Amino acid sequence: MKKILFIILSLTFLTACERKIDEFASNANGINFSKFVAVGNSMTAGFADAALYRSGQQNSIPNIMATQFQTVGGGEFRQPLIGTEDGVGVNVIPGGVYCTSKLALKIIPDVDCQGTPLGTSSLKPSFVLTNPDQNMLKQQLLAAPSVPGPYNNMGISGLTLLAAFMPGYAAYNPYYGRFASTASSSVIGEAAAQQPTFFMLWLGDNDALSSALNGTDIQITPADTFAKYYPMAVVALQQSGNNPKGVIATIPDITSLPFFTTISKQLPYNGVTLNAEQASGLNILYTMYGHSDIVWHEGQNPFVYVKSNGKWAQMQDGDLFLLTVPTDSIKCKGMGIADQSAQPFPKPYPIPGKFILDKTEQTNIQTAIAQYNFIIKGVATSQNLALADMNAYLKTLSSGLIFDGIKFSTTFVTGGLFSTDGVHLNPRGNAIAANYFIQAINSHYGCQIPQANITEYKGLVFP
Amino acid sequence: MRRISILLLFVCLAATMSFGGGYQVGLHSIRNIGMGLIGTSLSNDASSLFYNPGGAPFVNEKWSFSGGISFVFARSTFQAKDVNYQATMKHELNLPFYFYAAYKPTKNLSVGLAVNTPYGNRLSWDDTWKGRYLIQNLSFKAMTFQPTISYKFKDIVGIGIGLVYAYGTVDLNKAIPLESASGDGTLHINGTTGHFGFNAGIMVHPVKGLSVGVDYRSKIEMKVKGATATFNVPQSLRAQFPENKVDVMLPLPANLDFGASYTFGKNNQWMVGINLCYVFWNTYDSLVFDFETKTSAVGRTANPAMYESRLIERIGVEYKINNMVAVRLGGYYDPSPVPTEYMNPQTPSVNETGITCGLSLYPTKGLCIDAAFLYLMGATKEGTYSPDNFAGTYRTGFNIPGIGLTYNF
Repeated sequence: MKKILFIILSLTFLTACERKIDEFASNANGINFSKFVAVGNSMTAGFADAALYRSGQQNSIPNIMATQFQTVGGGEFRQPLIGTEDGVGVNVIPGGVYCTSKLALKIIPDVDCQGTPLGTSSLKPSFVLTNPDQNMLKQQLLAAPSVPGPYNNMGISGLTLLAAFMPGYAAYNPYYGRFASTASSSVIGEAAAQQPTFFMLWLGDNDALSSALNGTDIQITPADTFAKYYPMAVVALQQSGNNPKGVIATIPDITSLPFFTTISKQLPYNGVTLNAEQASGLNILYTMYGHSDIVWHEGQNPFVYVKSNGKWAQMQDGDLFLLTVPTDSIKCKGMGIADQSAQPFPKPYPIPGKFILDKTEQTNIQTAIAQYNFIIKGVATSQNLALADMNAYLKTLSSGLIFDGIKFSTTFVTGGLFSTDGVHLNPRGNAIAANYFIQAINSHYGCQIPQANITEYKGLVFP
Repeated sequence: MRRISILLLFVCLAATMSFGGGYQVGLHSIRNIGMGLIGTSLSNDASSLFYNPGGAPFVNEKWSFSGGISFVFARSTFQAKDVNYQATMKHELNLPFYFYAAYKPTKNLSVGLAVNTPYGNRLSWDDTWKGRYLIQNLSFKAMTFQPTISYKFKDIVGIGIGLVYAYGTVDLNKAIPLESASGDGTLHINGTTGHFGFNAGIMVHPVKGLSVGVDYRSKIEMKVKGATATFNVPQSLRAQFPENKVDVMLPLPANLDFGASYTFGKNNQWMVGINLCYVFWNTYDSLVFDFETKTSAVGRTANPAMYESRLIERIGVEYKINNMVAVRLGGYYDPSPVPTEYMNPQTPSVNETGITCGLSLYPTKGLCIDAAFLYLMGATKEGTYSPDNFAGTYRTGFNIPGIGLTYNF
């Protein structure tokens, strides 16, 4: 009996053939992916969690795309990798720059306004290094990348369309200075000099966004300027020698970024509750300081903030708090109302303008983005390039998408797409964006490039 | 009887596996497996207790015992849609078994007990595979105990009914897309349950050589109450994922089987039969998990299954070479009950076209050693589990040898 069993078992092991299945059939359809160069800003660079760090770059959108291009003849994709995993973020402050490490989610004990622990805790983005050595961070940022250039990933944090043409831009932006081939290089020039066979250009966010990130609408690149320079950037890449094909992308509407939506969902614009006595006290105080146009009354009142023209105003429904707004100061120090601890008398205490993006500013920025996107789409058509409509895609994502059993939305932290800075994507979000680029390339050029397996990329890491 | 006790040893080791459309298993008699899994109109031995209780009184001998085991070697491969990615389901040996005992106190009355594994699903994907947020591994087994009573009127009509007690266990692991530095969160569910159903059948022998049978096995609602649910999530999120109990609801579908067979030739050497089995899969509309302690993150989830009822077609033939040897051949078509847009790696059920062959040796009067082999041509099915947007092509194949022993006296 046992012998029979043994014989049957061994026979079956021998005959239990692998059930083969056809693999994904990659097909370049004649497109040459051997030299892929990406030009863009922080989204392209792999900047995340408010800093440039090594694994963030390794999970950049173009690097994920390049990995998939390898199945259709793609070559090496060299990136200017930074040495540190803790990251370096550069912030312009009056009189210079202040560097920080990257952010990560941490468990922070909740305290009341006196600093007494409440016994509960919250999950908050916090810098992984507190009070870091500024010189160390600057050295880490400016140290030459371990592999020499030229670099296929020409994504540079803060890059605007106009700056991409500027010779010597390295001196103005350390994220470019750290790997520019010469002091007089321009970003577009250096990208074109590599003679790509395929390029990606995702530029223009900062022409509208960089001021928005500081709560203003100044320094928006005018639409006619954009209309002049955007085709120039595309043509510079197209005429770089190898007659490359390429993909360009539209600019997402900022109001869908968690950086602008998160606090505004929690903190109402009119979150100041006053009784009659408090209201009249504030009216006297504001009149004393020459702001009699701001009137307080009993009940709900809007916070006061500084407009980009320097004037004070009360917030309106639809004005957005930025993710960086110091909610502790609003809760405990009277920010947006009056500083009751000022000596010898209380003092009006408006919210600094850099923390608020009001409706006028939003409209101006959204108008600019709509104009840019119109120009970008026109160039995609006239130059016969693939177009990744990231603006439309982010709208789709904001209402929620699901991949491989993971639910994604543009909600901060729980949405699973964004990193802890609320602007840049996390690695899994980058993989989803890279797949959208690949879909655009496949549909325009009739090729079959496989998409990335998004579950191979990390989402947000929780403590 | 010593041999039967060896078989019973296997019973203790047994586990079952999805074989047949969905998670229904069709391996209940080695003899019948050899003939394309037909059985509703047959009354050779105690296996009638399961296939059609109306057939049990037609077994000639006073006592009949039948036991057996199948060795399921299954292989599923997955190719993701639009992604250069393949995964292979881990090779697991699964052992569906059966044991039947029937006794006829009078010529027309039969009582008996059937123990077998009509439903089950056991599969294991790699822990880090692409579908890990849907399923990593799953073991679902249902063993049924069926005391049965049957009676025949003259030698023409037999009826029988059995009370079915199904004992089920479920063990499930899946990943949760909440990562800590050490990786994904996980959920482990483990529980057991027992529920009742029935099995009733009628068999008619209208003319010499012809046998016709109809059998109905009722649906059994397998509700696993209070299974243990263990979450492993990042520390900062533990408050939302407390130690928990969960109710899991999974129906075992009803079956309506029709069979006809005809015995002919010199010494009744030939037998040919067909079976049509209608499986009421439409009862399985969703797999429900209802957690006892509800939080913002855990509650009641219904994963749509949307199975569709299906008709299985089977045909088989037997040839008795002499008093010592019989050979068998058969085939069947078992269409997948899973709609294309609900194809789920939890049950990667493909349209099955199987061919079978079998052999029986009769060393002494009443004793029969049975062997069968079932080969399932590797079938492919492309689909998306749309509620989770998980898409790809599955290819599944089986090699199933089996041995059994029957003793009638």
